[in-house]
Amino acid sequence: MFPTELKDLFFYFISALTITTALATVLVKNVLQSAIFLIFSFVATAIIYLMLHAEFIAISQVMVYAGGVVIFVIFTILLTSHLGETAFSTKVPRNFIAAFLGLSFLGLAYRFLFQNHSLLSYTPSAPLDYASLKSIAFRLLSIQSNGFVIAFELIGLILFASLIAAVSIARKQKEEK
Amino acid sequence: MMHTSITHPIGDFVRSISPFPELAFGVNLLLSIIAICAVAIGTAPILIYMERKVCAAIQCRLGPMRLGYRGTLQTIADVLKLLFKEVYAPAGADKFIFYLAPMLSLTAPFLALTMIPFDYNLQVVNLSIGIPFIIAVNAFGILGMLIGGWASNNKYSLLGSLRSGAQMISYEISFALILVFIVMVSGSASLMEITQSQSGGLFQWWIFKIPGLGFIAFILFFISSTAELNRAPFDIAEAEQELTGGYHTEYNGTAFAMFYLAEYINIVLASSIGVTCFLGGYLPPLLGIESVDSLLIKIPGFIWFAAKVLFMIWAYMVVRWTFVRPRVDQLMAFEWKFLLPLNLLVLILGALYISFIGF
Repeated sequence: MFPTELKDLFFYFISALTITTALATVLVKNVLQSAIFLIFSFVATAIIYLMLHAEFIAISQVMVYAGGVVIFVIFTILLTSHLGETAFSTKVPRNFIAAFLGLSFLGLAYRFLFQNHSLLSYTPSAPLDYASLKSIAFRLLSIQSNGFVIAFELIGLILFASLIAAVSIARKQKEEK
Repeated sequence: MMHTSITHPIGDFVRSISPFPELAFGVNLLLSIIAICAVAIGTAPILIYMERKVCAAIQCRLGPMRLGYRGTLQTIADVLKLLFKEVYAPAGADKFIFYLAPMLSLTAPFLALTMIPFDYNLQVVNLSIGIPFIIAVNAFGILGMLIGGWASNNKYSLLGSLRSGAQMISYEISFALILVFIVMVSGSASLMEITQSQSGGLFQWWIFKIPGLGFIAFILFFISSTAELNRAPFDIAEAEQELTGGYHTEYNGTAFAMFYLAEYINIVLASSIGVTCFLGGYLPPLLGIESVDSLLIKIPGFIWFAAKVLFMIWAYMVVRWTFVRPRVDQLMAFEWKFLLPLNLLVLILGALYISFIGF
């Protein structure tokens, strides 16, 4: 897709964007602005997935997080908070707990990522089409030992049932009226 | 394609004359962006003119007639006027979100247009995940509308954006399910392969290929895409009489023009998806008669594509000026109690058709 040097440049650009928007999500005072920065950081993460040739995961990231979760978060903010209100403050003890949690997470990440020397020296990229839509779909529906057909069918059934449940709930309300 | 390097005459030419072969990539990028912008921005004034003329014809008027031959220059004058207007945000508005919203709205259709195969060799990228990409990118349109209504600091805008957000999220389910139906019958989520699966004449198009079911699916697609486009009879977002214009009441000048442009590009996009999925994309409508077919094949694919897209757009416009707008609760009831169950039924019948009859 990209020439190698440009790809590196693009990667640094996107990483910087991800980090900046993630920081902005936490630091911005306005709740709605923070939700919007969250979307940007999700999309930037999706672009990193795309650069790793994991197209389906990238699209799922955009569809589920940017398209689903954050839209509902924004809906909730719009319905609950007052127009133009910017009250959003954190107390000091909470900050200490947050700093402790964040630092311990960083320590854990360092411990697990960099103890492994093969990760430092060489990172093989996945073979082409490893995470494409087709290979993921074949893997999901495969009945071999590395397939996920039962889990996939169960999840599909649950989602289908929830859609039908939504329809039936909508119908019931009308009958009561 | 995603992984292969660029091989086309212009790329090869750039590679042969320049010391930096990377330049070919940049040229390719630039050409793609220019092409998409040309299609998107070039069609909008034509569509606005067409909309005014179709509306006028339905209401027994003449429409714009004064400027240019039969009013053809009218939209250009309107666009120029809009672009030279002062841009300002209302007092107390969140400026950052206020100006971000129209950009987000405009991003979605531009991104999705890259997936559309205008002809066999006329597509920006042929991703294997074309349909999921379009569904995913659609969310940015909803997002732009929601935050635009909020940032305007106006209760009518907020009401309009909230109820249209609820509407678009609901109808997106039907929209996605119909596209899933097409992915299921054609066996691919790439728009190019969906088009290729309909080759072989008029009756191989998905609207006719599965008797009855294809036509029902097409009608369902038409209804849910009209709701996705926020066009009348589903224009809950704007509803001039109730909300004085909805989410873009407070917008003016270029920012308003961007919302307006996004609306018209979305029409082109929805028509293109409909044409690609149901009406054979760029393929000519071969009838099986030798003498006629040899003539039809001579017409290039992008002309067929444009003709079909224009037909779809004309249908959207006629529907807009023919039907009355339902109330909000009627609209949601229509989606959740009628459209969605019917969609699921069509999906199940399609699966039964594939497994028991086949093509």
